[in-house]
Amino acid sequence: MSSSPARPKDTFTIVFDGKPIEVPKDTNLIEAAKLAGIEIPHFCFHPRLSVVGQCRMCLVEIEGIPKIQAACTTPLKDGLQVKTQTEKVVQSRAANMEFLLINHPLDCPICDQAGECTLQDNSFGYGDQRSRYDERKRQYQGFDRTMIGPHVVADMTRCIQCTRCIRFCHEIAGTSELTFLDRGGRTLVWTHDGKPLANDWSACAADVCPVGALTVKEFRFRRRVWYLQKARSVCPGCNIGCNLSIESRDSVVYRFLPRLNPEVNDYWLCDHGRFLSESLNLRDVEKATSRDADKVADVLVPLAIERIATRIREAIDGAGPRGLFFLGSAHLSNEANFLLRKLSDFLSCPNRDVVVDKSRVRRIKSKTAWIEGDHAAANFAGAKDMGLTPSAGGYGLDAILSGASVPEVLLVADAGFSQIADQPEKVAALRKAKFLVVLARTANALTRAADVVLPAASLAESEGTFTNVQGRVQKFERAFLPKPPVRAHWELLLLLGLALGYGDRGWTPADVFDRIASEVEGYGGTSEAELVGGGLLKKGDFAWAGKP
Amino acid sequence: MPSEKILLARVGRKDSRAIDTYVQDGGYKALKTVLTGGWTPEELTEEVKKSGLRGRGGAGFPTGVKWGFVPKDTKGKPVYLLCNADESEPGTFKDRLLMEEDPHQVIEGIILSAYALKCRDAYIYIRGEFYLGARILDAAIAEAYAKGFLGKNILGSGYDLDLTVHRGAGAYICGEETGLIESLEGKRGQPRIKPPFPAVHGVFGCPTIVNNVETLACVVHIVNRGAEWFAKIGRNEKNSGPKLYCLSGHVVRPGVYEAPMGLQMKELLFGADFGQGMKNGRKVKAVIPGGASAAMLTAPEIEDCPLDFDGVAAKGSMLGSAAVIVMNEDTCIVDAAQNLSKFFSHESCGQCTPCREGTPWLLKVLTRIEEGKGRNEDIDLLEKISNQMANGMTICVFADAAIAPVLSSVGKFRDEFRYHVEQKRCLVGPRAGARELVTV
Repeated sequence: MSSSPARPKDTFTIVFDGKPIEVPKDTNLIEAAKLAGIEIPHFCFHPRLSVVGQCRMCLVEIEGIPKIQAACTTPLKDGLQVKTQTEKVVQSRAANMEFLLINHPLDCPICDQAGECTLQDNSFGYGDQRSRYDERKRQYQGFDRTMIGPHVVADMTRCIQCTRCIRFCHEIAGTSELTFLDRGGRTLVWTHDGKPLANDWSACAADVCPVGALTVKEFRFRRRVWYLQKARSVCPGCNIGCNLSIESRDSVVYRFLPRLNPEVNDYWLCDHGRFLSESLNLRDVEKATSRDADKVADVLVPLAIERIATRIREAIDGAGPRGLFFLGSAHLSNEANFLLRKLSDFLSCPNRDVVVDKSRVRRIKSKTAWIEGDHAAANFAGAKDMGLTPSAGGYGLDAILSGASVPEVLLVADAGFSQIADQPEKVAALRKAKFLVVLARTANALTRAADVVLPAASLAESEGTFTNVQGRVQKFERAFLPKPPVRAHWELLLLLGLALGYGDRGWTPADVFDRIASEVEGYGGTSEAELVGGGLLKKGDFAWAGKP
Repeated sequence: MPSEKILLARVGRKDSRAIDTYVQDGGYKALKTVLTGGWTPEELTEEVKKSGLRGRGGAGFPTGVKWGFVPKDTKGKPVYLLCNADESEPGTFKDRLLMEEDPHQVIEGIILSAYALKCRDAYIYIRGEFYLGARILDAAIAEAYAKGFLGKNILGSGYDLDLTVHRGAGAYICGEETGLIESLEGKRGQPRIKPPFPAVHGVFGCPTIVNNVETLACVVHIVNRGAEWFAKIGRNEKNSGPKLYCLSGHVVRPGVYEAPMGLQMKELLFGADFGQGMKNGRKVKAVIPGGASAAMLTAPEIEDCPLDFDGVAAKGSMLGSAAVIVMNEDTCIVDAAQNLSKFFSHESCGQCTPCREGTPWLLKVLTRIEEGKGRNEDIDLLEKISNQMANGMTICVFADAAIAPVLSSVGKFRDEFRYHVEQKRCLVGPRAGARELVTV
């Protein structure tokens, strides 16, 4: 089942229902069982949180111990014999499910957790369909459907008191906003002294909640989770590059969920990144536009590209290739930036650049350490690696902004490349170029000033790779196709290249990446699976973070 | 014939709390014997082991053996001794008497035990409701510091000990030793997962021993009069020493009584030196031998029932804290079971599912039966709920305690439960006459 570990000295042999398996010594019994292909149902256990053993769902029988034991709190030792299917175990699971459900509202039809609810799953898997409880159910009046922070809605009536959220805030976020109040059958989770749950990762408290007690305001009542399609992607919020899943339906992004990558974001995702999901649905630029004098008209994309190619050829004929300028973007994939740089090389243009906005320092906890990022874009490192710096004899963006240089044709690969695109005086400096081309999804001062605007895709509509602050190259997949005539940035740039004689019509992002791998130092020697599973630097275990 | 009083010898004496009278009566002699007589901590532990002293808090674990669980090499970590004065088992009031009437006996016991454990910091964790006890202990500790029995270089022996009184906030579960430790650390009072046991990983992550007040008081007398003397008191060497019994309920003279371990239950209830029989001449219906968490015994079962750890265990219950609660024939057993369940439902800490959800459920079913709304299947249901709450289903034994009164009352007085369900009223007791219980 599982491959034998590299260092045999660090392992124990555990026997599950007569079937032996070798696991590392520091494995929890629940995870060891998972390695053996055996599911031990649980609620309070989470691989990255302290073990409290209080939901009592993971009870198993251990050879030599008369009483039934919680698997999560059982210390591992060599030769441990674990029985997970005995009558006693089955009965104890059914008993716990009955206890958990007697006071649970069973309001699954109106609960957002339905479909990804551990209580639902375990009830179907291990519970009895009938309940012997005939009393009034417990309610927490005043503690239901209440916002306890900017993003998290609490409904204590659904809570099963597993304390995962409390432990997340205490042990991972380090902010300890949540606590148990009262005791016994009246125990509830709430914030200390009414202080809001407002740490940088607050929505992760809802992620770790196995039931619908904590839900995320932004996602509540928007979509049933079983309708959502998942695409493996990377967060656009900063240069940490947290792995996430874009959850969409009918070309609408509904939410981001963290995707497990122990080397980067582990099970977590910061609120800043998570709630960028809605911004992917913004679209102002639906068609290519072309300006003639003061008249702006919609044009077909091929015609717009033809017009750009013509202007580029004219500029080369006039001022030579030094009259061109190619501006990449830290928001775009390595593939798009690479094509842009190759195009400028092809045209012998030395003028190119990429810039990035600094943001406040963002932090995420990987399995082992905190990672910090301070860029407002995901791929500045990658864009630099792709060679978007002025080559010999060329100039950079500063020269244009200061007015020292005025290009004939300025191609901006991403209208949102920086805050510069929203600042009138800076845009005026860029506008001095004789011909301004912008690839855009949302409108801003720069698109309004441009001669040609090409409609470009969002992160959800494109695929490629980002390089994060650690130098890790990570692939993001397309969640859905853009609505024509919108095309991905790399595709628009390739079309322009083709119009000028560069490139091959059959190229896909994977083909472009193959070229990157062979041309750019440090990008070679990796497989598709490695790229999606956590990047080039190290091989990481890949799994969905949804259900730890 | 009244036996010699040992633990309660000074109770009732004038100024029994003062250190001067305690020293006059031979107090702190044991401390001098040990600290200036060249006893090593190991010798003291050995003496306690030989005495057969078993923990008086409820579980009856041999005290000397428990002390022996502290690792020889603590890797530089200090050892803590915690005196468990969170006496909250319903029906128990013996430690309160010791602390309020003879605090120095307790303090001397703590100092001796701390010495045996090489502990430099000891705490008395006293339940929040014992305000008077905490004040008396604070005053007594101040006196002991002034006389040099506490603090630096006690009696010139080079041994240092600090003793602090810590008041709890009134939770039954903080009497459980790991719950007590969590509470002392300033956290929510919830029992910990074991292992690791407190002797290895206790308060502040250091080796910790938790002993009951009465247990620690016994240590003084073991030193003064020898382990052999102590072991001879009582029914047999496994159940040795003097014992305090808390007698309450429908007896003529309830109270705390001291007797050698193994006193006959009948003697405690009816003896002239003890309970002096049932009030108003009523008959015994049921007796809870060891506090709310012990199973009830019926009148026939208390015949030849020696009140010691093994004697009561042989009857299918437990000595616990030796809180004997007597119920006469006019007691409605459903009412009693509901009352006990209310306590456990209120005191469950709420961390484990079976206990958090099970204790209120038991209470709800019992309340329904008591109010005359019970159904035939409810009696079986009580047993079924109980059986899926305990025996390893939870972190601590609270759930096992909570089901004991329910299982024993349903098991031994099933007819009365059935009567309640069918007739919708009590078989006996003040509300037996009512044709039907008032139901709104």
